[in-house]
Amino acid sequence: MPYRRPASATALSILFLFAASISVARAQTPTNTLPRTPDGKPDLSGIWQVMNTAAWDIQDHNAQKGVPAGLGVVVGNEIPYRPEALAKKRENYANRATADPESKCYLPGVPRIMYMPYPFQIFQAADMITVLFEYVHATRAIYTNGTQHPPGHIDWWMGDSRGRWEGDTLVVDNVHFNNETWFDRAGNFHSEQLHLVERFTPLDRDHITYEVTVEDPKVFTAPWRMSMVLYRHREPNFQILEYECFGFDNEFHAPVPSN
Amino acid sequence: MSRPLFAAVIASVVAGAMLSAGAARIAAQGPPPPPKNPPPPGWIDPRNPPKEDPNWQPPRTADGQPNIQGQWNQASDIITYSIEDPEADRAEHIAISGQRAMVGRPIIDPIDGKIPYQPWAAKYREFLYEQHRKPSKPQFLDPVSRGFQEGVPRISYQGTFQIKQFPGTVLLTYDYHHSYRVIPLDGRPHAGKDIKLWMGDSRGHWEGNTLVVDVANLNDQTWFTIIGDFHSNALHVTERWTPTTADHIVYVATVEDRNVYTQPWKLRVDYRRQPVDEQWESAVWEGNRTADVVLGDSKK
Repeated sequence: MPYRRPASATALSILFLFAASISVARAQTPTNTLPRTPDGKPDLSGIWQVMNTAAWDIQDHNAQKGVPAGLGVVVGNEIPYRPEALAKKRENYANRATADPESKCYLPGVPRIMYMPYPFQIFQAADMITVLFEYVHATRAIYTNGTQHPPGHIDWWMGDSRGRWEGDTLVVDNVHFNNETWFDRAGNFHSEQLHLVERFTPLDRDHITYEVTVEDPKVFTAPWRMSMVLYRHREPNFQILEYECFGFDNEFHAPVPSN
Repeated sequence: MSRPLFAAVIASVVAGAMLSAGAARIAAQGPPPPPKNPPPPGWIDPRNPPKEDPNWQPPRTADGQPNIQGQWNQASDIITYSIEDPEADRAEHIAISGQRAMVGRPIIDPIDGKIPYQPWAAKYREFLYEQHRKPSKPQFLDPVSRGFQEGVPRISYQGTFQIKQFPGTVLLTYDYHHSYRVIPLDGRPHAGKDIKLWMGDSRGHWEGNTLVVDVANLNDQTWFTIIGDFHSNALHVTERWTPTTADHIVYVATVEDRNVYTQPWKLRVDYRRQPVDEQWESAVWEGNRTADVVLGDSKK
């Protein structure tokens, strides 16, 4: 007969784990020591970057040559594609070397740019949060002044972002996307009906939990979520440099003659 | 040809080129003439700017910087097509397009309003000018037309931009091509000399009410104009941003490049405050066909 743990012991250990997780959470969430702006909101200013492999594939994936293995960032790992959309995703994957908009150096859209392997810098004012990306010097303006999305539909690569604070969480609503960007190099995609809700929750002064809820009734049968951590760059004098993607093509290189 | 004779021929050709280029430059001494075409209402002439109250003091940000935040656009009528003589350089363009002749000549030093090219560089600039309508190779087409960033100081006369100030940093965000510049004020050193950037590496500090920005680490791939005003990667730019009233900033950039110019030169832009707009997406590269259209077969 297989060994069975007494129910009371299981309950006790669950209780113990729960208590331990609370104390760990408290130790890691000294919200009273978070940097704050003059209006009392958590100050997200700084240079951030993920430490994951979502840029290659947002779902669980094994290593390939040049591709690190990774645990997915999709909560539950499955993406609820409509059947015809799943076929399209597989086609994208097969043709990814040329079909991926990243290969054309286009603005990569949201949320993809948030987890590409390049740093980005947040500047936070009371009425708007400006996000500057090293990758193709992309920018995001997240308005936190109570304004609504402009009437649309508007086809923008990076969408339109309107944010609000729920306690210490910055909640950003995003619409007005085009249908030309992907989520990753594995062909995960969306339509122009993409609607994103991002949640930025500081864990401590150097870490932010970044969650995104993805809705797109044209491509998915239900909303789904991603979750990951943004890490603050702590290196002294760290700065954003440039990744001008389309500037590497030799045909555009123009050596200046010298005297 | 014997080696000494070859050297002598080369020397005389170079000397002749220097003489003719030098003569052309010397002939142009004295300030440029007033515009032939009517400037737009509110135009600020860099050679005859409005008198400002020297005792005016700007408001301050919470951390004590002179507050120059807001949205600004140049009142100098500068077009990136030409900064030496846009009326003449664009004459054909204006005749075809029917666009207004823009009159800004922002170079205030040397006094003739011309870029003080070294003789060899004047010849290369002449070549690029001749190429600009129908370039024989992609690299002879204006880099901005090829989708690249403007560099400094060209971005300073491109169009509307916003200044945002934070403790220890001034941030510039431009309407065109979502370009931005982060200007740290904390005295940190420039990035290492091998780092080269389209928009350069900016370090700022306040001298009284003037924001002084040292711009280094610039690459050699940007031009100041569509018609080929170029520099090497020894380019170094010093900017002085001085608010003179609540609605006016005077910008002077000193441009140095020992490889290309005979002396440092200065360019002035006057900015007027505008109501602050949302900066909506300006996707420039995505689907850009300029190079294909302009270059045609020569792109191959």
